[in-house]
This record gives sequence, structure tokens and C-alpha cells, in this order.
Amino acid sequence: MLAIEASNLTKKFKQKTAVNGIDLSIEKGELFALLGTNGAGKTTTIKMLSTLIVPTAGQIKINGMDIISERQRIRQILNVSPQETAVAPNLSVKENLEFMAGVYGIADKKKKIEELINLFGLNEVLSQKAKTLSGGWQRKVSIAIALINDPEILFLDEPTLGLDVIARKELWKIIEGLKGKITVILTTHYMEEAERLSDRIGIMANGDLIATGSADQLKAKAGTDNFEDAFVKIATGGETE
Amino acid sequence: MRTLNFAKRNFKEIIRDPLSIIFSVVLPLFLLWIFQQFKIPSENYKLQNFTPGIIVFGFSFITLFTATLVSKDRTTSLLVRLGISPMTPIEYIGGYMLSIIPMLIIQIILFFILAVVLGLKFTVYTVLAVPVSIMVSVLFIALGIIIGSFASEKASSGMASVIVQLVCFTSGMYFPKEAVGKGFAKICEYLPFEPSLNIIKGVMNNKQEIITARNIAVFLVYTLLAMAVAAVIFKRKMLSDNK
Repeated sequence: MLAIEASNLTKKFKQKTAVNGIDLSIEKGELFALLGTNGAGKTTTIKMLSTLIVPTAGQIKINGMDIISERQRIRQILNVSPQETAVAPNLSVKENLEFMAGVYGIADKKKKIEELINLFGLNEVLSQKAKTLSGGWQRKVSIAIALINDPEILFLDEPTLGLDVIARKELWKIIEGLKGKITVILTTHYMEEAERLSDRIGIMANGDLIATGSADQLKAKAGTDNFEDAFVKIATGGETE
Repeated sequence: MRTLNFAKRNFKEIIRDPLSIIFSVVLPLFLLWIFQQFKIPSENYKLQNFTPGIIVFGFSFITLFTATLVSKDRTTSLLVRLGISPMTPIEYIGGYMLSIIPMLIIQIILFFILAVVLGLKFTVYTVLAVPVSIMVSVLFIALGIIIGSFASEKASSGMASVIVQLVCFTSGMYFPKEAVGKGFAKICEYLPFEPSLNIIKGVMNNKQEIITARNIAVFLVYTLLAMAVAAVIFKRKMLSDNK
């Protein structure tokens, strides 16, 4: 069953075409990574799929629901962890979780928050103001908040950007724990991250989705043993060889 | 419920950043006190006239304060997260408005307490002026949301200070509008600041004749328009910020 089905998805900003009529299908429970160079159209695609911006053309179905006419229903079943850390800076970690639980009208708020505190190991920073947390902790809190409504679909926009290697590996463990349970769409610049975490990978360049497949399939397609080389070859059409 | 939840969050953000609260309360209080020390021989500076003026002047700082809060929110990714949540623009606007009200109540009560200490006669109409003032403040909060929705954090404080100046010059709190000229007086009648002041002054002094039908009409048109524009601009900017 498909969680996301997009056809001819297009976004234009005045004269610039950010996303150029892409077709994309993502299965339920799949972890799909979207790769691309800067300005390839990854974040714009995620913003359209997550209802934040309206496509210029094309159609998106989320769990079979139309993204325009059933926007409010769709918003109940998805969540996002944006590129920059999205927390209320003067609220404590616990207050941030409570606030977002209120936004989604979570029935058993206390139980859900407790569950997330345990999953992300947030106890030691629970009463700390979000703005005083380190980058790694802020990302963890940001992803924890994104799980507050038990989303069926979760968008992670460069979740480990700027983190040190230990914080990154900790987050990978958490993301791996989500695999199979919810559909995750992840954008990243880190090839190792995409290769290790994803079931399938889509490569975008200049607004086009130019290749999709597993890391092994993409390596085979590019004729390389290394995923980073495969990405470079596909994204540039072999021009940097 | 979502409105209340958002208001609660905003309120916590406000009280944990107390500098602007001090500014929007202490400065008008100081002005109320200092102008009474000068014994200026003008009707404008009598407590029954100057106290409502100071209240409206204090509200212009609420505009500044709200504009900063909204523009600051826009610079963080928190609004991206909220943008894909089931929250509607009306819930955002309601949440911003409700979160400012506790501060407004404190502000208004402190102004009245100081005015009474300085010699204002305390009556039931003084008490009645509190909820009326809160109603008037809606206009100023909406103006703050409009400014905060399209201006950056730095620019919003500059733009909101235009409202502070407009209140000073066109509300009639410091000098009668006729003193500047007929044309200026006419403009003041069609701006919302003099009507705001007259509504509070009329209720506080139990002088209904001060509140004209035009005052009420001008105030209502501006307030309803400001609220509608605030909702539309906030939604539009939220989408364009996220492009």
C-alpha cells in the first residue's frame, strides 16, 4: 500500500522551476531518502509533500487522501522535523512536548510524553530551556516533538546536519528504530547516512528526480562500488568523472 | 483548545523575556507620574484626561511588543512545524491575542493605581474602564500582528514605533488636535487613536457624550479590518516564508 503517491509534481517560484514534474511513490513503512546537491529541489519537494506549500501543478495523495481537499485530515497523520531546529526557545524540553501535544490534541498527553522521554533519553534535559541545549540535544528534541502525534508519515529534513559524529550515530539509532513502523522521508547531504538508513533513495538534480532505487541498485546503475561515487556520477550525469 | 494552548506557550515566552514588559509598563507609568509633577495648566494633563491617554500610549507599546513576538517566531523553524499542524490562522491570531491579555490587565491596573495615588477619584467607572480598555487593546494587538507578520525582527520595532508616534500626535493625549489646524484635526478623527482614547475616557469619567457615534464606528472599522488583515497577512507570510 502506498503512503505517498505524487504525479507530475511541480513547483515554480516566478520564473524559476524548483521542482519539475516529478513522479514519486513511497510504500507504507518505507524509509525513503532524498538526495541532491544544493538547490536540487529536495526541501521544496518535502514542503509540498508535507502540506506546507501548495504545488503549482500535479497531484499528491497521502494514504490515498488528496493533499488539497483533505489537507486538514492529512495534517493529523504526518509530522516534520525541519532543517533548522524547530523548538520554542524559552520553553523547557517538557513544556515543548506539552505544547505540541496540545497542538495535536493528544488524548493521553502524559503517557505519550513519558514514552518519548524514555525513547529519546530526555530525562537529563527535561527541565532545561530549549535554547540552552547543545545542537545534538536540540535535534533529538526536535525529532521527539515530531513524533508527538504518532505520525504515520514523518519528514526529516537534514536531521543530522552540523552534528558531531557521536550525536549523529545516536540519531541514526533512533531513526533506525522507526523503520517499518512509520513511513520516513529523509533528506540528507551525507551519503553514508542515506546508504545506511534507507530502503530506497531518490536522487534529485535541478528540480528533476533523476534516479530511484536501493543503494545497491544505484551503485549498479552507476557502475561503481562506492555509493558516494554513484551519487556524483548520477547527479552530474558523469560530468565530474 | 488549540488557541488556549498556543496562548499559554506565548505567555510563557513573554514572561521569560521580561525586558519588553518592563519597558511597556514602566515608561508609561513614569510619564503619568512626571507630567503630574509639572502641574501643566492644560485640560489634557488633568488625571481624568491624561490617564486614558497613558493607557492608549501603553497600548502602542503592546503593538511594538506583539510585533516583536510575531516576527521573532517567524524567524524560527517553529512556525514551519506549526504550519503543517492542524492549527488554523484564526487560532494563531487568537493565541497571540489571548497571551497578551494578562500583561494588558497588569498594565491597565497599574496605570489606574498610580492615577488614584496621584489624585484620580476612584469610582465604579474606573473599574468599568478596565474591560473597556481591554476591548480597545484588541486593535493595538492586531496592528502588532500585522507589523510582525511582514517585517523582520529588527524592522518590526522601528515600524511599531510609528504607531507609538501616531498615538502621541493624533490621539489628543498631549495637545488638542485643533491646535495644529483644521486639516490635522480632520485626519485625527478618521484615525483610530483619538476614538480609542475617547472611548476609554468617556467610560472612565462616565461622560457618554465624549464617545460619539463616529468614534465607535471608526474604532470598530479599524479593529475589524486590522483583525482580518492580520489573519490574511499572517497566513500569506507564513506560506511565503516557507518557500
